[in-house]
Amino acid sequence: MQTSFTPAQLEDPHVAESEKILRRCVHCGFCTATCPTYVTLGNELDSPRGRIYLIKDMLENDRPADEEVVTHIDRCLSCLSCVTTCPSGVDYMHLVDHARIHIENTYKRPLPDRLIRNLLAAVLPYPARFRAALALAKIARPFAPLLKGIRVLKPLGAMLELAPKSAKRAATVAESDAVPPKAEKRGRVAILSGCAQPVLDPEINVATIRLLTRFGIEIAAPKGEGCCGALVHHMGREEQALTFARRNVDAWMAEVEAGGLDAIIVTTSGCGTTIKDYGHMLRLDPAYAEKAARVSTLAKDITEYLATLDLPKLEAQKLTVAYHSACSLQHGQKITMPPKTLLKTAGFTVRDPAEGHLCCGSAGTYNILQSEISTQLKSRKVKNIEATKPDVIAAGNIGCITQIGSGTEIPILHTVQLLDWAYGGPKPAAISQKR
Amino acid sequence: MLIPHSETDAAYVIRTAASEGKTLALCGGNTRSGFGNAVEAAETVSSRGLTGIVDYDPGEMVMTVRAGTPAAEVEAALAQNRQMMAFEPMDHRGIMATTGEPTIGGVFAANVSGPRRLIAGAARDSLLGIRFVNGSGEIIRAGGRVMKNVTGLDLVKLLAGSFGTLGFLTEVTFRVLPVPPSIETIVIADLDDEQATNAMAAAMALPVEVSAAAHLPPTVRHHFLDGALPGSAATVLRLEGLSASVAVRAEKLAAVMQAFGSVTRLGMEESKTLWREISDVKPYAGIAEKPLWRVSVAPTTGHRLVAALRLEAGIDAFYDWQGGLVWMRMEAEPEAALVREQIHILGTGHATLMRAPAAMRPETPAFEPLPAAIAALSARVKQKLDPVGIFSPGRMG
Amino acid sequence: MSEAIQFLPPRPSVLARRDTIISDLLDLLPPECVVHEARALVPFETDAFISYRRLPLAVVLPKNTAQVAAVMKYCHRAGIPVVPRGAGTSLSGGAIPQEDAIVLGLSRMSRIIELDYANRTATVQAGVTNLSISEAVATDGFFYAPDPSSQLACTIGGNIGMNSGGAHCLKYGVTTNNLLGVKMVLVDGTVIELGGKHLDAAGYDLLGLVCGSEGQLGIVTEATVRLIAKPEGARPVLFGFDTSEEAGSCVADIIGSGIIPVAIEFMDKPAIEICEAFAKAGYPLDVGALLIVEVEGSEAEMDATLASIVEIARRHGVKTVRECQSATEAALIWKGRKSAFGATGRIADYICMDGTVPLGKLSYVLEETSKIVERFGLRVANVFHAGDGNMHPLILFNANDPEEAAKAEEAGNEILKLCVDAGGCLTGEHGVGIEKRDLMRHQYSDAELAQQMTVRAAFDEGWLLNPSKVFPLEGRA
Repeated sequence: MQTSFTPAQLEDPHVAESEKILRRCVHCGFCTATCPTYVTLGNELDSPRGRIYLIKDMLENDRPADEEVVTHIDRCLSCLSCVTTCPSGVDYMHLVDHARIHIENTYKRPLPDRLIRNLLAAVLPYPARFRAALALAKIARPFAPLLKGIRVLKPLGAMLELAPKSAKRAATVAESDAVPPKAEKRGRVAILSGCAQPVLDPEINVATIRLLTRFGIEIAAPKGEGCCGALVHHMGREEQALTFARRNVDAWMAEVEAGGLDAIIVTTSGCGTTIKDYGHMLRLDPAYAEKAARVSTLAKDITEYLATLDLPKLEAQKLTVAYHSACSLQHGQKITMPPKTLLKTAGFTVRDPAEGHLCCGSAGTYNILQSEISTQLKSRKVKNIEATKPDVIAAGNIGCITQIGSGTEIPILHTVQLLDWAYGGPKPAAISQKR
Repeated sequence: MLIPHSETDAAYVIRTAASEGKTLALCGGNTRSGFGNAVEAAETVSSRGLTGIVDYDPGEMVMTVRAGTPAAEVEAALAQNRQMMAFEPMDHRGIMATTGEPTIGGVFAANVSGPRRLIAGAARDSLLGIRFVNGSGEIIRAGGRVMKNVTGLDLVKLLAGSFGTLGFLTEVTFRVLPVPPSIETIVIADLDDEQATNAMAAAMALPVEVSAAAHLPPTVRHHFLDGALPGSAATVLRLEGLSASVAVRAEKLAAVMQAFGSVTRLGMEESKTLWREISDVKPYAGIAEKPLWRVSVAPTTGHRLVAALRLEAGIDAFYDWQGGLVWMRMEAEPEAALVREQIHILGTGHATLMRAPAAMRPETPAFEPLPAAIAALSARVKQKLDPVGIFSPGRMG
Repeated sequence: MSEAIQFLPPRPSVLARRDTIISDLLDLLPPECVVHEARALVPFETDAFISYRRLPLAVVLPKNTAQVAAVMKYCHRAGIPVVPRGAGTSLSGGAIPQEDAIVLGLSRMSRIIELDYANRTATVQAGVTNLSISEAVATDGFFYAPDPSSQLACTIGGNIGMNSGGAHCLKYGVTTNNLLGVKMVLVDGTVIELGGKHLDAAGYDLLGLVCGSEGQLGIVTEATVRLIAKPEGARPVLFGFDTSEEAGSCVADIIGSGIIPVAIEFMDKPAIEICEAFAKAGYPLDVGALLIVEVEGSEAEMDATLASIVEIARRHGVKTVRECQSATEAALIWKGRKSAFGATGRIADYICMDGTVPLGKLSYVLEETSKIVERFGLRVANVFHAGDGNMHPLILFNANDPEEAAKAEEAGNEILKLCVDAGGCLTGEHGVGIEKRDLMRHQYSDAELAQQMTVRAAFDEGWLLNPSKVFPLEGRA
């Protein structure tokens, strides 16, 4: 579509990039139909097309963000369903990233909002702080309804409700050590240990390590790796995000140079989308551009990597799995078939819930910051999943697992946990307990 | 009767009448003039002088004809090219006890259709374009000769089924379809009205493309095919298409219908005759004394309507359109209030009194009375096309 | 932004009352149903015809018919124009507002009210998307036939406004042939119901008149549509030809032979390349023109029909014939076709024409279209419903170059006039909207336009409903 930027504006590489993205949009409106917030709220302003228009208007006029724009950009889940739908190839992801940075730089949020965002940014990316916070949350949980009743404290209430009710069993394998393969060596990978996932469910990476080593993969242990930066990236806190990104690039590149890496395995698809975007995020940093691009090509979702290992076909078993396709996997990384194929190969019966393209409402910190919309999306998702009458739900992202798990009695596991079990690992506790 | 021989003449006649405030009853071949309420007009204008096929390219499946052309002539020209009007227009001469030649203009002015209405639409759905003279004597074109056309307001639909009250049709352009090379009818014997309704609904939900579905209760069955239909009541389902395909679909349909009753099959020639007889309402043809209703309701409510009415009046009925078109012959009075009340109790629909003894007609509105807001809207629409109110006054009012 | 087409000048008396009007609307509707902040109005300034834009006075997003009626009653009394909007996917600018108008969006009325399989009807709110009806009934073996390319997003209300068609209407007809009834709000707030689950209207066919009236006769809030049993199978087949002429004459011959496939879609070389880049459907890239012919029924039936079609295609020098092997493949073939317009956005801005011509004129009009576009120094991609002669030349241009944008518009106008002169019409399924309004005189005489406008006036004497659209501004009563 037509844009009007001055040559001076276009000298800013971020603006220049956004201009190119905007030019692709033909305003056809297809994206509205698959956008979870438009489907829920029915307002053009809460659709990708509406947001694109708001962003265009803001950027063209060099205007600081205002409440109206912020409200509607904040409601975006960054699920990227619109990107899958868009026939014109509009790169909405990088446009909304730019808008979030612009908001962070030009808009002063009301105090309670600022506090909660600062809190999230200061806690979630750091496992030790997050673990401590969860302990506190257990004590504070009874206050959740009270907090939710006070408008500005709603996010706190939501946060408490989402905190897992029971402590997870401690991991049996230390994550910081390298692990040799248990079969003839076929490859060497690093596994992102990340930030929130090991706190919420350490079992996921433990299962991943078991499964990979069983098939001859050596697990490297890069030093100094941590949060991928996605959480703060989606809050528009670009410098903080880039700091995380640079640190991880350093950690992995050191490992690449030391022992070589076939892949950087990501078991939290939300992180995967961001790491695969490091090349883009750091493109303007001459010191990192090339290394970051290398890291992005090495980054692989666990199912994407497993699909290359040609795992043996197992006999069919009775368990029916509803596969929930995390947005970051299906829209962000365009990985749709491998997880289902792997599960089927491992003998599970796989069901696709209706409206699979719609987000479950987790979306990083979205279920805390936008708890009302998030809750509506959660019920819709759970209803669709339960309609398939599964024994267990599989998903590839800890955010979805926590979100959906808080709305249903059906056990929910990471895809890799089911695969590990099928290929000889211990039966996941969630299934043993429920059955 | 005035019979203009050109569109220009027709426009002149109407313009003159409008300036004098002289009312005109509009007609074609007059075989459907009994439709609606009595018309009191100073003069009758017929389109029968406007004849001839203007344009027909079988390759494009579109025909343009002057309005007064006999429908039979149109059908013959189409048949030569193995084509037909998909909506299967019924011939009203039987039930209206009229003589003469139905015109193609009359077919569209009355939005006539037959059994295939169920899947192929009524006359209005095939009508692509018209030329007509409005009540001010202006010649107006609407629509065109292409299948898809949303250029401006669809006056074509408005004029179709306006029974000569909005404009004088001079030319019609309509879509035609190839004649199906093969036809078969599945007959299910001895179902009561409700069972038949369920059977027809089940048949229409199958992927076999049933092109017509009718139920002929015991009182009418013997009128069809000279009494050759088996059993006491006959529920009939038609399949059309390429012969190989019809054979396959007939097998599938018969297999499913066996659950409802004993199934027999009719071949091509018998099928043609049967559906022509259903279309033309053979059981109620020629007996002009008893009131005859044509009721359109949701398919599953047709038999419930009849059952409800039977508690209060003597009626005989049979069903087309999967049960949604009910032809009802009353034994005595038209019972208009009763009929219309029941329709609204059961859902949406409308009843048209096709014929009744002369004495009963003035007190019974032939067409379904409309809710006030829609009646007012309709009156305004009529006023815009016929500002002086000269066309067929009273017929639809 | 283009300026060649004028909007009605805003009514100063309405603009002057802006604040009062907004506070009145806030009295009528819950606050989340009224959009009035300046910034928030911007995304409503256009639809999918983005060459033209106007900010509305306010936007209302009612949740039910009663709220729609309240808004209409108020606007009627206060003399405020109203522009209805479904999903805003109009390619003719049907939902573009004007400065003194309230946009009445139906997007919040998106509930399926009733599915009645025995009577084969679906009753839905106007904001339900076209595709979601078919999705809701698919597992029970039914579908809703009209399938405009934007069916993923466009609403039934909008479909009724534009009498939308689609690829499969060659066999099943367009919206008007599949619409049984509506609930609608008249300009003064009166709620009426036309039709229902029965066939044919009592009285005048007002339902037929409303369908395709582009939001000028009232606001449809609910619709009852016809469902059809899904055929046993459907198979799209790709036929590649060296030239558009061969493909065009093949279409005329298929139809002429008495075979009516469910759909016959045409793509020329540029369109094939654009769609393949997005959908990766396996369209042949070494041909000059492509037909997608879909047949349906049982396997035996499809085989028989296809054999006849293949034979006709061979007579016209078909170069490649590809039958698709799976449902996934079939879905991709249709995804590519249905995304054609949007996918064009990958290479250029475009405007999409919608003229319909008699089948025998297809090749001639295609050829002349190329000449016209070349004369303006522009490029064109053709992708359209060949079976019913409904052409969609996409004129490619650069929207940031005002001169080129103006040329594209002029070329478009010439193409549409060509369609009319060839015995066709300006628009087959997209509607007149603002885009083709000033060309109406090329198709209709003054008396004919006046007649349409007087009939329009029977519904909306004061030109409050979508007033800048359909009818040329000069010569209005």
